[in-house]
Amino acid sequence: MSILYDEGQQAIATESRRILEARMSKDALLPLLETTGRYHAGFWDTAKEQGWTALALPEEYGGLALGLVELGLIAHQAGRTVSGAPFLTSGFGAAKAIELYGSDPQKARWLPGLATGEIIGTVAFAEGADALPTQPQLTFTDDRLDGTMTGVTGGLAADIAVVLANGPGMAVLAVAELGDVQRRAVQSFDNSRCYADLAFKNTTAELLASGRPARDAALHILALQAVITAHEQTGGAEAMMEVARDYALTRRAFGQVIGAFQSVKHRIAELYGFVELARANCIHAASRAGAADFITAAAAARLSATEAYDTAARDAIQIHGGIGVTWEAGLHLHMRRARSLAIEQGNGLFWEDVLVDHLTGEIA
Amino acid sequence: MSDLEAYRAQAATWLESMAPTFGKAARQSLSEADDLALARRYQAAKFEAGYAGINWPVEYGGQGLGHLEKVTFDSEEMKHGFPNAYFGISLGMPVPILMQFGEDKAFVKERVLKALRGEEIWCQLFSEPAGGSDLAGLRTKAEPDGNGWKINGQKVWTSWAQYSDYGVIVVRTDPNVPKHKGLTYFWVDMKAPGVTVRPIKLAGGDSHVNEVFFDDVKVSDDHRMSPVGGGFAVAMATLMIERYVATDSGGFGPHLNLFVELAKATQINGRPAIEDGRIRQQIARNYAMRAGLDAITARAMAMMQAGMTPGPEGSLNKLISVRSRQKLSELAIDLQGSEGFAFDDHASQKDNWTSSWINAPTGRIAGGADEMLLNTIAEKILGLPQDHRPDKGVPFNQIPA
Repeated sequence: MSILYDEGQQAIATESRRILEARMSKDALLPLLETTGRYHAGFWDTAKEQGWTALALPEEYGGLALGLVELGLIAHQAGRTVSGAPFLTSGFGAAKAIELYGSDPQKARWLPGLATGEIIGTVAFAEGADALPTQPQLTFTDDRLDGTMTGVTGGLAADIAVVLANGPGMAVLAVAELGDVQRRAVQSFDNSRCYADLAFKNTTAELLASGRPARDAALHILALQAVITAHEQTGGAEAMMEVARDYALTRRAFGQVIGAFQSVKHRIAELYGFVELARANCIHAASRAGAADFITAAAAARLSATEAYDTAARDAIQIHGGIGVTWEAGLHLHMRRARSLAIEQGNGLFWEDVLVDHLTGEIA
Repeated sequence: MSDLEAYRAQAATWLESMAPTFGKAARQSLSEADDLALARRYQAAKFEAGYAGINWPVEYGGQGLGHLEKVTFDSEEMKHGFPNAYFGISLGMPVPILMQFGEDKAFVKERVLKALRGEEIWCQLFSEPAGGSDLAGLRTKAEPDGNGWKINGQKVWTSWAQYSDYGVIVVRTDPNVPKHKGLTYFWVDMKAPGVTVRPIKLAGGDSHVNEVFFDDVKVSDDHRMSPVGGGFAVAMATLMIERYVATDSGGFGPHLNLFVELAKATQINGRPAIEDGRIRQQIARNYAMRAGLDAITARAMAMMQAGMTPGPEGSLNKLISVRSRQKLSELAIDLQGSEGFAFDDHASQKDNWTSSWINAPTGRIAGGADEMLLNTIAEKILGLPQDHRPDKGVPFNQIPA
């Protein structure tokens, strides 16, 4: 897989950016912060209409058979404008789990709907700080799930979830319909992510993988999602760097634009470094899908993208001064999103451990 | 296998065959004089094998290949610890600029061939006590003298001047105009009367840089490589030549694997340091940073291969890698605790953490200080304004000292 974008890929980047910049606005995103259970319907409709939901799925199930590179490009643009719903990444993770580990009937049942976006999917592995628990609290007995998963991304709207559960003497990767599951909305700092606690009670589920392969599968799904999220974070960081630069070129103090002060210009130059490291790691990781070093590449992308987005959001607000902390300016949309994306798909501490375990050979 | 991969494989094989004679182990206990003699033989061997002047024109004795082949060779060569540093500046900047701006083609060709064979060394006389980052603030002057010029003043931080046969120099020929406009570019004979070279011992103990004094040094006008007053442009062209150089995401310090090995071999609170979260975090963060720089380099190479111009992000490498290496080296010394006091000033900064640490500040200053690199990124890439410069437009001799 080349690390240079071809013409088709560049067109995906240009076109998705054009559409999102035309359709997304902070005025539509800000009210979503003050209510639970609502996402930006226009964003999700766009994702379905443009075929982004189908992008990385197999053709025989209605997909476009493209991969991480292309979906990453969309995620980057979505990150720039603050994506209005979490389902592109969560649905991709659920679909990949079913595609890679499910049976033919399972694929036929779920993948076409996930490809059109008619079915919203999510992945629920994390228990608190543990992104991939070795002894999940969620139990899987006789094809039934019991237990509560907290803070599930998209949990308020999802139709199905892929979970990691404690089966009879072994870990289990399973998929469940969420129709009967009790959902409690999490009143969050980033409400359009539709976080929910999901209470499974005798909920029917289907096995995808079990034992050691289940855990490996879960890590692989998480890594695939992490690469997409890293692209989204990089897009957000890039937007924050640019907005800081643009403001520093117009805002004047002490008789000159503030971008002429080294304390400001160097801060923005440092952001450029964070953004470009993250971008390079993202492009590399997307090109390593299927390779032996995919996990380390994904971890590196994830760590550098999280650092880039947090730093860029923080510094862009600082450079704006007072106006930066107002509700209306909307920079806090990125500051909030930087943190929510930092936790989804496993936090930095988790990926640091994954990375070092691989580097030291603790995980072959 | 692509042509470039084939080229890399061939170069690697040749370099492997040279390692016993010229590599790290062969150099271990040599005096600097013996090491230099070995270096000249190594450079001659490179020339014979077609690995000198890889991306230089064939008419000057080069190989007529591209930047890609050069960078590929350099990155393979870096692995063996060959004695190539003596020629790094010479072949990196002064000699290419001589090819570009030298008027007397027969003279140029003779100099280039001797430099490529390691028989002659060139230095670059730019920085001065009163101006490093602010190059155009230099004070060494050249005054008309008969048909030629007479140079007086002092240069500093001149790498390998003590072994150099020739140098390129920027001097002030008109103090009555703003600083950038009064400069002129010459080449000089480093053995000429009036040139005095004094090595400067650096903090780490080595002395590859020098002070160079010019006392009534006479140069004829055919040494001039720029229009009178047009020297700054040639100086900038000199600094631009090395855009395509082999980079090292380790900041020319030890590989991260060496840190992992150290952490495995060291204990904290009775447990291997590699299990300590503080150590693990640094490994992970440094890995992600280095992987990003490596990915930037790989993308630049791929773009060059595709006939495209690499993006400006390549300029991040030195800034990010060297300062990270500095901090990681400090942590590596911490890890060794009371066994970390030992210091061998002949150790290589590529595989010794203490040597890496003590020489790191040089890396953050030489070839563009961190602060200058940040200015360049801010101004040239992001379009932010220049700093306020009180000397802008002011004739040089009216700038307050």
